[in-house]
Amino acid sequence: MNRLAPLALFALAIIMTIVGWWLLAPEGGESVVVYVSHDEVFSEPILKDFEKETGIEVRAVYDTEETKSAGAMNRLIAEKSNPQADVYWANEPIRAEVLRQQKIAAPYLSPNAAGIPESFRDPLGYWTGFAARARVLIVRQDVDPKPTSIFSYLDPQWRGKAVIANPLFGTTTDEIAALFVLLGDEDARSFMETMRDNDVKTAPSNGDSADLVSRGQFAFSLVDSDDAVSRMSRHERAIMVYPDQGADEIGSLIVPNAAVLIAGAPHPDAARKLIDYLLSVETERKLAFSDAAQIPLHSGVKTPPGVKPIEAIKTMAVDYAAVATKLQEIQPYLKNWAATR
Amino acid sequence: MITGKRVTLAAAALALAGIGLLPVLTMIARSFFVDGRLGMEAYAALFASSQRLLPWFGNSLLLASLISFSATIIGAPLGVLLARTDLPWRGVFAVLFALPFFVPPYVIAAAWFSALDQSGSIGRLLPEGASEFLSSTFFGLSGCVVSLTTSFTPIVMLLTMAYISAVNPRLEQAGLLASRWPNVLWRITLPLIAPAIVFASVLVFLLTLGEVGVPTFLRYPVYPTEVLTQFAAFYDFSAATAAALPLLLVAAMVLTLEKSLQRTSSATIGASMTNAPNGAIALGRWRLPLLWVVSLWMFATVITPFAALLGQAASLDALAQAFARGGDSILRSVVFASVGATFLTLSGFFCGYLIHHKALAIWRSVDALTLFLFTLPGTVVGVGLISLWNHPSTNVIYATPAIVILGFLAQYALIPTRMTAAVLQRIPPSLENAAELAGAGWFTILGEIVAPIAKRGLIATWTICYIFCVRDLGIAMVVYPPGSDTLTVRIMTLMANGAPSLIAALCLILIIVTLAPLLAAVFWRAASRPFT
Repeated sequence: MNRLAPLALFALAIIMTIVGWWLLAPEGGESVVVYVSHDEVFSEPILKDFEKETGIEVRAVYDTEETKSAGAMNRLIAEKSNPQADVYWANEPIRAEVLRQQKIAAPYLSPNAAGIPESFRDPLGYWTGFAARARVLIVRQDVDPKPTSIFSYLDPQWRGKAVIANPLFGTTTDEIAALFVLLGDEDARSFMETMRDNDVKTAPSNGDSADLVSRGQFAFSLVDSDDAVSRMSRHERAIMVYPDQGADEIGSLIVPNAAVLIAGAPHPDAARKLIDYLLSVETERKLAFSDAAQIPLHSGVKTPPGVKPIEAIKTMAVDYAAVATKLQEIQPYLKNWAATR
Repeated sequence: MITGKRVTLAAAALALAGIGLLPVLTMIARSFFVDGRLGMEAYAALFASSQRLLPWFGNSLLLASLISFSATIIGAPLGVLLARTDLPWRGVFAVLFALPFFVPPYVIAAAWFSALDQSGSIGRLLPEGASEFLSSTFFGLSGCVVSLTTSFTPIVMLLTMAYISAVNPRLEQAGLLASRWPNVLWRITLPLIAPAIVFASVLVFLLTLGEVGVPTFLRYPVYPTEVLTQFAAFYDFSAATAAALPLLLVAAMVLTLEKSLQRTSSATIGASMTNAPNGAIALGRWRLPLLWVVSLWMFATVITPFAALLGQAASLDALAQAFARGGDSILRSVVFASVGATFLTLSGFFCGYLIHHKALAIWRSVDALTLFLFTLPGTVVGVGLISLWNHPSTNVIYATPAIVILGFLAQYALIPTRMTAAVLQRIPPSLENAAELAGAGWFTILGEIVAPIAKRGLIATWTICYIFCVRDLGIAMVVYPPGSDTLTVRIMTLMANGAPSLIAALCLILIIVTLAPLLAAVFWRAASRPFT
């Protein structure tokens, strides 16, 4: 018996490996691989519904907060020569645009994209936006008067009382890049320098900065609308303000999700079906009524009371392709800015 | 016979190099290429920004030193107390103090925060100003120290317990003839286990040095964040590899220091297997006060954060949700960890044998390699694996859970190797020599002599490997195949806007899944104990 102990251990390893593979192997039918940067808690139910409705198995890779929603993006870039993913569900269009520029995306004009405004999709179909978030101010309930503009960050009355997520990551980077496009380099740099001089604090993420405001440590922060809605739905002491809604103001940056077909996708047909599903009115309705509180981009989609229809928001007029290009250009500047905080 | 032994051990060493070193070398080699041509841009950029990075590097070193010091100063006495004295409920204390080690450190930080928060179990007992001060002070160095000390003290405690049990009782018995326990402990036992304590301390230092999750959560700027930034914000693999190199240099320096300290230690452990261990040290009048101190410390550092976690998870609805959303991930975690632990135990056995017997000239290199791989951040190992295996011809590895298992084998090879070497130290070489002289082949010696004697040690090795694999996040997060996430990854991905009760319930399940083999061992021992 003892003589056989090492062999038995080895045999156990082999048996466990085989049983494990058998237990965990993907089912034999049609499948699609999707990399997802949208929060799993909101995206997984949509993908489960797709599985139920089409019988196509979805195998997903989700991003984590720790990788700053860029883990999936990094994998897509690393796998460029050997793609594993069929579809990328980006949580904002800038990364989707970067994928187009790096020739990782393939064009697909979904029939369901027809009802989505042109400003929220790539004309050639390399990415298509759906179910958006707005960039909003989350403001502590007891603050009076309340800030109504992102330029409130520069107002001395908020010195040391405002917080913003690290501009190196996520939608805050998008917003800063959009400001560079909209205001020009000089004014945008001045905005950043004044913000630093006004002692604006930085937090690791939008979620963290929303927490800092709702827990009373700061007066306001620029975050995504879903961050603000989730704090309000938990009855925390904060309200949401759509910034810069005046007639001659710049409006609120809209950040749609984006569906991208991956070049060389192993399952292209299933990938197109999934993209069609993501871009459907029904998916937008579900995401609007979920805790993600996403704003539908198709017109006429019913929304819950807390979610403003896209037509009711003054949106920032930006070209997402230009923002993506600018974002890559200003990264060294942002890195230096963040380092001097 | 000799050839079989040498070939087997060489094959184990080669496999370790292929699985662990090759991906890292591939990644480093690629960092010298920019847009397909040879270049040093990544390193030049790192050098140019050194002034900006130095304070972060200083923060990393400060944090690692503080955690290493506090975990050692608390963990080593605790290990001695729980392993060798007659303190009541030592087993219960040992399991409870080890609990924080079974969950990823960021979960501990989150648990501490929910306890200190204004609505938390501690925060709501305090006046508003005090709770606000406490929760805001928690963000920063102090919170990192509290969370990581809680997380890593069990490493020192468990290693102290393991090594102190291996001290040759004859040496202590000889000491007891001339002196009393405190003196014997101070002059004989502690010097004998000092190398193990130093090793544990170094391990904690290196684990803290590579830690990203807790400092990020608590907003304390550390150097590994720079590595993560390069990966996450700039998609720059070369810059990320270059940025990781200073960490590797510090790791190498600390490991060299540890090695030289171990070499200067003249003491050996080597308990004879024929000697029964010494009885427990009688604490006498100190028994009750020490019981109070240990209980209070446990309440403060373990019960408080875990009660906050349990408080959030304590609903059937949350647990049902957790099983509904994480059921597959739980199963995968168990299977991946079991397979990983089994292969780790196998490969670690041969590598440990090679090191203990210095059977090949490369034994030092194998020892150093396992240490080097263990100190690499999981994300770095993961990216190395992607660099090496991401080709159409190797999709059978890259696109399947095999890539996760390879990651475990690379990152955690140190654990079974060191544990096997420690186990083998307790087997007198004369046994193997005698069998060899009698004409027994090497495999027969392994099967008939070494394996039966080392059986318990190997089971313990498997259990520890399982624990490391099941709580792994760094590797799994980077390389898990589509649709094959593990429980730790699932917890991390759901942390973004997931309900706190769901996260807490999943953490609770993670603790149970991690403890499962330990519980099974306890039940097995209880069941196999004869009725009297």
